[in-house]
Amino acid sequence: MKFKAFITENGVSLLERRFLPALEKMGKVCHLFLTRDHTFFLHNLLNGDGVQSIAQFRKEALFDDYRISSQNEDRIAFAIDISLLYRAVRSSVSICSEYGGGGATENRLQIKLVKKLPPNCTQPTPYLTFETKGYKSAVIQDVPISKPLSRAQVLELQTALDMAQDLPQTLVQVPDLNQLQSYVDRMKHVGDLLNVSISKYGDLHVQISTTLITLGAEFRKLLVIGDKAQAPPEDQNLSAQSRSQRAILRGDAQSVQVSVRHFSKSLQCHLAKPDCAFYGIVPPGACLTVIFQFFIPGTRQTDKSISLHCRLPVLDPGSN
Amino acid sequence: MSSSAIEPEAPDLVCQLDNVQGMVDAFSAVRWKRQQDAVVELSEHGIVLIVEEIGCLQAKVYLQKELFVQYQYNAQGRPRFGVSLGLFVDCLNTFSVPGHSTAIEIQYPGPDMQLLLKSVDSLDACIYAEIRTRIPDTFSWDYNFEPAGTTPLSFTVKSAALKEAIDDLEWPGSSIQIILKPVPPSVTFRGEGHGDLQIEFMYYVNTDLLIAFHCDHEVSYRYKYKFLRATTSNIPSSVIKDNRGSKLTIGRGGMLKVQHLVSVGRSSIAHPHVDAAGYQQPSRIAFIEFFVRPEEDESTINN
Repeated sequence: MKFKAFITENGVSLLERRFLPALEKMGKVCHLFLTRDHTFFLHNLLNGDGVQSIAQFRKEALFDDYRISSQNEDRIAFAIDISLLYRAVRSSVSICSEYGGGGATENRLQIKLVKKLPPNCTQPTPYLTFETKGYKSAVIQDVPISKPLSRAQVLELQTALDMAQDLPQTLVQVPDLNQLQSYVDRMKHVGDLLNVSISKYGDLHVQISTTLITLGAEFRKLLVIGDKAQAPPEDQNLSAQSRSQRAILRGDAQSVQVSVRHFSKSLQCHLAKPDCAFYGIVPPGACLTVIFQFFIPGTRQTDKSISLHCRLPVLDPGSN
Repeated sequence: MSSSAIEPEAPDLVCQLDNVQGMVDAFSAVRWKRQQDAVVELSEHGIVLIVEEIGCLQAKVYLQKELFVQYQYNAQGRPRFGVSLGLFVDCLNTFSVPGHSTAIEIQYPGPDMQLLLKSVDSLDACIYAEIRTRIPDTFSWDYNFEPAGTTPLSFTVKSAALKEAIDDLEWPGSSIQIILKPVPPSVTFRGEGHGDLQIEFMYYVNTDLLIAFHCDHEVSYRYKYKFLRATTSNIPSSVIKDNRGSKLTIGRGGMLKVQHLVSVGRSSIAHPHVDAAGYQQPSRIAFIEFFVRPEEDESTINN
């Protein structure tokens, strides 16, 4: 089992400035899954109760001189503490930039999988090692990782990953992630369960309802991807609540209940600076999915080498 | 909000406010603990919110109708309802978008006697809330504040300084003595508990700090620290930023009245020129009053 690669400058900035800060919010530990062509950061795929987050990079997006081999179709997976990984990348960046201006090839950041014997131990332990060669010095950082996943566990992870790819039939674009985030963070004080309903008309309706209070927000006329429908004009002047109830009865909307905490967590992904975000419900109310889209810099074209989406577990199958 | 429900009459109150943050600030100022019940009283003059610690402390927030962009009052008498203050403030806070003054409409009662709120400034995005109300508890209402004599016993101090002084008195804790002396004109806060601490405001020494002072004879009363602290612990940051003063008056029997002014104006972008005295249109101010009972001898309490 071997893995060795150089992180490109673009890869470093993607990880350090965008993805690692976002992924750190999703949970302390994630699985790093490396294949011949892709790198995945996976949260909660094997243990079912939290927000699943799937960040996928084509190897060219992060690395060059990428070498991987294993007896399991060149696939390697292990668990890693994302905050340690983030720290290692950050400090490597500071070492590189200290001597910035030198030849680009000289201060490259190499990562590789190693086994080392830690002090006072008899068993060698696996590490993901970051090696930064500065102008005069070289710094090596060892990030401890779990024992690589067995063939069966990798298969399990791959299956979970495949299952997590199903797309909702209707996706609506979130108007302003920051605003929604600040709104949901305030809603957290009022209750724990959030009802989310999404209609083919482009309505996103979120609501907390307890015995003492009902608090909700409705965003209308959002961009719809997938199944869409024309909003019936007679619904125009209704309250948000009756409008979404009628849409659900008509079969034009779906509603699920998720944890407010999970919803707020999924919004933390805006730290990865996506260009847009879409919410959708995977039928039949299996989960709430949020898909983040990244454009090729300077264009409106989707960057297919990067993808990020989250799946929020549904607490109640909803009213449909 | 509920056009589907059949409402025989117009609701008691429908009003609109153009900056919800001011209301959040004003109500937060009287939120001295997590679980707190409040009573809201509606009238043709405005909205009054009352919070009480039975027999010891009462706070009132006055939102005059002039603060509202629109104020339609249709009730006979003065409708009152009980509501959880924490929930009300948390809910209002949800409407407040940072860096953006949000307009909201408040209506009472809804079809099920709820308090209804909704944002009104955008057609394609709407925030709404329904808060369940209760039949209010009967308040003791014996906080009738009467002046102690012909000359009022009062002083006005910078709110920031008052808050700082009361925060500092946490160390001795327990009970705090407030002493007003005409000669030399001064106010003393004295704490005796785990130790002694005395904070003195001299009128002529620093008129910037102690802005006004009225006292014709020496008086001194003791107040429980925790109640005194409640009067300043949640004073909104806008009060400090606007450099406002708080007025303290001692009434008959040592009843202490603490008054703060909270700006409910549009966000500061709309009023960039608040002058040195912190003056703004009086109609854009919410009045907050606390009434603190002095400590009594055990014998009088048992009577």
